[in-house]
Amino acid sequence: MLPVGSVNPLLSAASPLAKIDAPLPKMPGVHLGAAGPVPAEGFGRMLDGLVASVDAKQVEAQAITKRVLLGDSDQLHQSVIAMQEAGVSFSLMVEVRNKLIESYQELMRMQV
Amino acid sequence: MNLISGIDLSAGALAAQKTRLDIVAQNIANAQTTRTAKGGPYQRQVVSFETEMVRTQGATGGGLQGIRVAQVTTDRSPGQQVYNPQHPDASADGLVTMPNVNLSQEMVDLITASRTYEANLSVVKNARQMAMRTLEIGK
Repeated sequence: MLPVGSVNPLLSAASPLAKIDAPLPKMPGVHLGAAGPVPAEGFGRMLDGLVASVDAKQVEAQAITKRVLLGDSDQLHQSVIAMQEAGVSFSLMVEVRNKLIESYQELMRMQV
Repeated sequence: MNLISGIDLSAGALAAQKTRLDIVAQNIANAQTTRTAKGGPYQRQVVSFETEMVRTQGATGGGLQGIRVAQVTTDRSPGQQVYNPQHPDASADGLVTMPNVNLSQEMVDLITASRTYEANLSVVKNARQMAMRTLEIGK
């Protein structure tokens, strides 16, 4: 199975979505909220971390299941629980992605 | 990232009940064993549990109390004496000391372990359902 983290079109520099991370252009005389420093870690970095941790959960579940199937461990419940945890975190990731795509499409539909 | 809360506790409880089931299985299997490596008839094993601090929670203060197997002890009560002179382990007066395993007691232990396991499985199932329902907010 292809690891989940390896397919990440959202973060490639060529993608227009990468520009979501870019700091807002500075306009003279306009202050947007608190004028703090732009955080070094953008949303894309956070999303990357989310994908990586979901992938780690899948790998962990696979490893535990493999141990059970090979007879090295008799902790059947741990295997099933790890699989369920991986499933739930994957659903969370899908939800975040859906929300992101939705907001991107909303922006694209905006009248200029 | 810990999405399903309290899952570590339930996993520990499941493992503990599984150990208990294994010990019950061992007791029932050796209900007629009159010779062991240590000499004498088999003696019933008893499992006891203890709490285990799983992790400290930030918001609610106190940590969550998990469970683990504390120790497996031997039941020292005397076994039943049966008159059976043909038995190779019979004493000079023809009496054989049987293991102190009481089958009805083991069956009760078995059912208790099984039901406790089921209860913990329900907790796991509900915790997962709660997480999935929460994710359905966005739909």
